Amino acid sequence: MSGFRLKTGGRVDRSRSVQFSFDGKSYQGLAGDTLASALLANGVMLFGRSFKYHRPRGLMAAGSEEPNALISVDRGPGRFTPNLRATGVEIHDGLKAVSQNRWPSLATDFGAINDRLGMFLPAGFYNKTFMWPRSFWDKVYEPAIRKMAGLGDAPTEEDPDHYASTYAHCDLLIVGAGPAGIDAALAYLGSNKRVILIEEQDELGGGALADPSLWPWLERSNTALIDAPNITIMTRTTAFGYYHDNFIGAVQRLTDHLSTLGDGPREKLWRIRATEVVLAQGAIERPLVFDGNDTPGVMLSSAAMVFANRYGVAVGKSVALMASHDSGWHDVFAMAKAGVGISAIIDVRESVDEALMDEASRLGIDVHLNHSVTGVIGRQRVSSIQIYGSEGQKGRRIVCDALLMAGGWTPSVHLWSHSKGSLKWRDDLGAYVPDQPNENARCVGACSGDWSHGNGKVIDVLPTPKDQSRIKAFVDFQNDVTAKDILLAVREGFRSIEHIKRYTTNGMATDQGKTSNLNGLQIASSALTKPVPEIGLTSFRPPYTPQTFGALAGHAKGALFQPTRTTNIDSWAEANGAVFELVAQWRRARYFPKSDEDMHAAVNRECVAVRQSVGIFDASTLGKIEVVGPDAAEFLNRMYTNPWKALEPSRCRYGLLLKEDGFITDDGVSARLAPDRFHLTTTTGGAARVLNMMEDYLQTEWPDLDVWLTSTTEQYAVIALQGPNARKLLEPLVDGIDLSSEAFPHMAIREGTICGIPTRLFRVSFTGELGFEINVPTAYGRAVWERLMAEGAKYDITPYGTETMHVLRAEKGFIIVGQDTDGTVTPFDAGLDWAVGKKKPDFVGKRSMARPDIIALGRKQLVGLLTDDPNVVLEEGAQIVADPNQPIPMTMIGHVTSAYWSETLGRSIAFALVAGGHGMTGDTLHIPMPGKIYTAKVSGVVFYDPEGARLHV
Amino acid sequence: MSELLNRNEPVPQAPYIATGVTISLASPMKRYSLRAREARTLESLLNVTVPKNIGAIEGGIACLGPDEWLLRVDADAPVPTGAGLPVAVTDISERSICLIVEGPRASEILMSGCPLDLDNFAVGRATRTIYETVEIIIIREAEDRYQVEVWRSFASWLWTALTNAACH
Repeated sequence: MSGFRLKTGGRVDRSRSVQFSFDGKSYQGLAGDTLASALLANGVMLFGRSFKYHRPRGLMAAGSEEPNALISVDRGPGRFTPNLRATGVEIHDGLKAVSQNRWPSLATDFGAINDRLGMFLPAGFYNKTFMWPRSFWDKVYEPAIRKMAGLGDAPTEEDPDHYASTYAHCDLLIVGAGPAGIDAALAYLGSNKRVILIEEQDELGGGALADPSLWPWLERSNTALIDAPNITIMTRTTAFGYYHDNFIGAVQRLTDHLSTLGDGPREKLWRIRATEVVLAQGAIERPLVFDGNDTPGVMLSSAAMVFANRYGVAVGKSVALMASHDSGWHDVFAMAKAGVGISAIIDVRESVDEALMDEASRLGIDVHLNHSVTGVIGRQRVSSIQIYGSEGQKGRRIVCDALLMAGGWTPSVHLWSHSKGSLKWRDDLGAYVPDQPNENARCVGACSGDWSHGNGKVIDVLPTPKDQSRIKAFVDFQNDVTAKDILLAVREGFRSIEHIKRYTTNGMATDQGKTSNLNGLQIASSALTKPVPEIGLTSFRPPYTPQTFGALAGHAKGALFQPTRTTNIDSWAEANGAVFELVAQWRRARYFPKSDEDMHAAVNRECVAVRQSVGIFDASTLGKIEVVGPDAAEFLNRMYTNPWKALEPSRCRYGLLLKEDGFITDDGVSARLAPDRFHLTTTTGGAARVLNMMEDYLQTEWPDLDVWLTSTTEQYAVIALQGPNARKLLEPLVDGIDLSSEAFPHMAIREGTICGIPTRLFRVSFTGELGFEINVPTAYGRAVWERLMAEGAKYDITPYGTETMHVLRAEKGFIIVGQDTDGTVTPFDAGLDWAVGKKKPDFVGKRSMARPDIIALGRKQLVGLLTDDPNVVLEEGAQIVADPNQPIPMTMIGHVTSAYWSETLGRSIAFALVAGGHGMTGDTLHIPMPGKIYTAKVSGVVFYDPEGARLHV
Repeated sequence: MSELLNRNEPVPQAPYIATGVTISLASPMKRYSLRAREARTLESLLNVTVPKNIGAIEGGIACLGPDEWLLRVDADAPVPTGAGLPVAVTDISERSICLIVEGPRASEILMSGCPLDLDNFAVGRATRTIYETVEIIIIREAEDRYQVEVWRSFASWLWTALTNAACH
């Protein structure tokens, strides 16, 4: 070891050494070390390169506020995590960490040229420079900037880890287990309140972990809390967001600290609903702003004290302190006692408490009051500093290998701000502290401004004789924002901190300005000669610290990404080689290819089979709603465009559903089972929407109607049997239903049994052939299907999918809502005015059908299209023009909505929505497609069996 | 003849057994959605007492809403349709399946995706809720035993999600 590990002290386990590597070099640390403390102990002070200027950077902090020391951890393929703070990475055997934002190496980084060019890279540089010429943006500026920008490398491989998630409820949630959080929890010992205590570090204690005098208390408290059955303790857990009604999101890290991964989840997302929230997030020490304050070795004084007392590591062998606050004095006194060499205390104040002076003198530490650091010598590590007295003394040089900054404290009000709790300014602290809560929440301890670190002086930039415009005094270390950037923003006219922040990017890095916001405010305040509260405050947003996408996504990947709904017959389709497509959330068989058939061949075969013998189709996904009650017919009469009250029981009717605006939203065939009971069907994708719409009308418009709606989509498996042999196939399997044409006409329903299973048997057709839809209780769907397949073998029964269903219905001129309509199509436009009850006093959408633009001429109307070349199948979505010789852009008069090859007709067919189309029958239209403009003649929409002879057999 | 045809269920027939929890498919049962303007109309129709408080269960009938009840019965006894009355009795026996989640970790497994506070969900209560994006009805039969009703097409997803939570 290089001698930075103190001989005694710290909470690390000196009996257990840990091997790890950083940038390929092997190091040894101790169990209990973070990557930061272990590298410090090895004398490493260079941790990374800065974002914009690629300046060498060390550690500034010891906790999650660390802005500089961002590193990547590589745990093998798919397990590469960039932008972790070295201060939060617990070392384990085999840990592989690498630095970022440097090339070719951390010590020699070519990007550091930016630092020399710094004077040409002021705030707003990118906005100002890359405006013109516009054409350069996409090809030149953007790719170049993108290459330079960003921190760390995004992982490229799929993440093999699992992520768990859960909900939790408690009476009291405490965020932060420092002394204040622990005290809050101890108050609930023995109560029956459910308490959850969340701590982002690996053990409870917070600031007390760096104060050995508190360790006995900590030990006792820890034991008491662990033993308490009502208190749940979660360490390595970050409460990252505070949402409405005391809903807190937290991520628990489960395996990153382990040397072996195991099978369990890497992280767990906790979604916690708490009756009361206690925020004990503590406070963050504020850096001081002076030239060279980002040199490796310059760090927060409290951090150096934590490294000494918690980890037993000296941040340097000769350490100087630059203070404007008493707390730094206490820190170096504690460090001196722990064995760290202290070279000097410099304080910007003219006088400090006598007791501090006495203690410094007792410990033999040189003190320079009324002085400030004006320069830091050393590039990759501090070697000495220049100090300057504000009363004209000559500057002098102090040799040291680390410089501590004690600029006072900033309460961590992040989660409080997420919850929209208000803040108030305290001049004495130079900080915003929590004021009025917006949720059932309170702040305790340092995050409420309640601390005992002594007094201090709030200062923006340390006094210096140097030209302010020539120095690099950093405010935001992660985004490389300097004091002069903020002064420039003020000079350029920005007055609000929200604008200054966006212009300079101060506080906009991943650390959200934990160490920079208040300094930025102070500098702007001085420059504008206005008190801070008049400049404003910036808000904090989740996440408190960066979280993995994996934790937020949870199990939502692979089979669990989202539910894929399947029918009872789906497993048969899969076993029989179906090609599937997704329709809404459902997986549906699209076609059933035989051996080497492509879709075209399979669909042609399936279509011919239905027209010539019999086809079988899984229609289970159709939405079904059972409408029951004395007012059922009245209700449907008000919802649908056509009349329903006179429909006789055991008959079916096509129903067309509009929205208030008069446009078609759904359709389906429905049956009246009894005077007060209807079996509705809807489109597959419209099922939930239609039920919600109907329920909405029922509950808000017509609560007086005695009728209730129940979704029965999943109660029934539905098998469509279509084709001239459908009846012959069914007859031997059905009991209790006379299937003859006279007894069971088209558009009727009968109840009986099939293969002994109760069925609601519809005689309906979406193909134009004799057809039945067999509804059976879902669990029996596959078994009935298989019986039909076996029985149908003698008719060459052919299973068909949605693609064939589409072709067959198009040959018959049946529309598909959502394909041939687009939310702007009225029943008249679609040629469905026959389905509108002219004598009905009202129905949903009726009033809109009299609107001027609905009755105006020239609306887009649904027509058939027959291409002049019968072999050309138009592209669905292709635009239609009247005159192909117009200059581009042409006037588009419509588009193709459906187009197929019809094997039955031996030619292509298509539907289109065309302006004024109903009056254009026989006209030739032009359809520009890639490579060629095709011509087609306008026709009716029924291409096959227009008399319906095949249906009524 | 129906005995000859096999039921086809969306989840395995064999229980999933993990440390502290077992997840299994309940036997088929009859289920009816009962709706009525007045509970007493249902009571006289079915000759039962229906629970009036949402979440309560009495005699196999769970009150799910101010005018909505779920009747679950094992027997194949016929249930009157209520023709002509201001009620709606609808057969939904096969709309859902029921998963039984049982064991000391039963609550923990359900709370992995259900936002309800199950510590405060008393034994003997039923409610419609969600597991992540999927609608479910949970019935707490005992401190460590729940029935979870889920629509058939979502059952396989829910089975995977619950067993995934159980194995971790």
